[in-house]
Amino acid sequence: MKRYIRNVVVCAGLLGVVASAAMIHGSQIARAAEEKNAAASITIDNFSFTPKEVTVAVGTTITWVNHDDVPHTVVSPDKKFRSKALDTDDQFSFTFTDAGTYNYFCSVHPIMTGKIIVK
Amino acid sequence: MIEGAAKGFLGTSAGFGADLNLTIQLIMGVALIGGTFLARAKRYAAHGVCMTTVLVLNLAPIAVVMLPSFGQLVLPRLASHLHKRYYAVAAVHGVLGSAAELLGLYVLMVAGTNMLPEAWRFKRWKPWMRLEFALWMAVLLSGIGTYIVWYTPLWRR
Repeated sequence: MKRYIRNVVVCAGLLGVVASAAMIHGSQIARAAEEKNAAASITIDNFSFTPKEVTVAVGTTITWVNHDDVPHTVVSPDKKFRSKALDTDDQFSFTFTDAGTYNYFCSVHPIMTGKIIVK
Repeated sequence: MIEGAAKGFLGTSAGFGADLNLTIQLIMGVALIGGTFLARAKRYAAHGVCMTTVLVLNLAPIAVVMLPSFGQLVLPRLASHLHKRYYAVAAVHGVLGSAAELLGLYVLMVAGTNMLPEAWRFKRWKPWMRLEFALWMAVLLSGIGTYIVWYTPLWRR
């Protein structure tokens, strides 16, 4: 009987360890997936990008939404990304897969500038 | 191109190309007004040189700045967005500008060359030239309007 109880306790312990490991692994996978699917939004309103500067994790997808009543563009000076002319409520998305600092501007109104910092 | 990274110099949100184009158009407008005074002073040779220079030089900003900009930013959505101020003012400017440039080239061909057959040549100069001048001034005003709508957010609110 004593032996039986000891075996039960050992099995329960092993099950607990396995379950804990699975839970930790699962949460890591979920966090990784979350980071992979992270998203941020930048609005274009009254001839400016808001927020003007954004810091995000690698893998984040940024979406620009134009709320102005004139078209704007989102253009990287080093040609890493470039939207077509975005009319009112049009969107443009880009996923940042590499760390670094990305400046951008509106090619129709070059006074409009912004910066994405990817860490 | 009207698009680009270079900022303008007129203090609006326009780029360098748009500001340079507006400045050139205003100088050309002043030159045309000066040209009409030359005609009134009966200095017809100088009048012809002045008007022809403006007409021909204007082909460059049309080809380099205005047509590409119109093609990229206006034309793709013109049919469905004509009710919007941004597209409407550019469309009006485009139609008036095309008419003014083509009429100007026609007047130039009649007045300065023998390329056109007799049947296509007008005899009364003043109405045609006055029409061309009035059209050009309308184009200039609509161009200024286009610049304001496209590049000056403070004036829109």
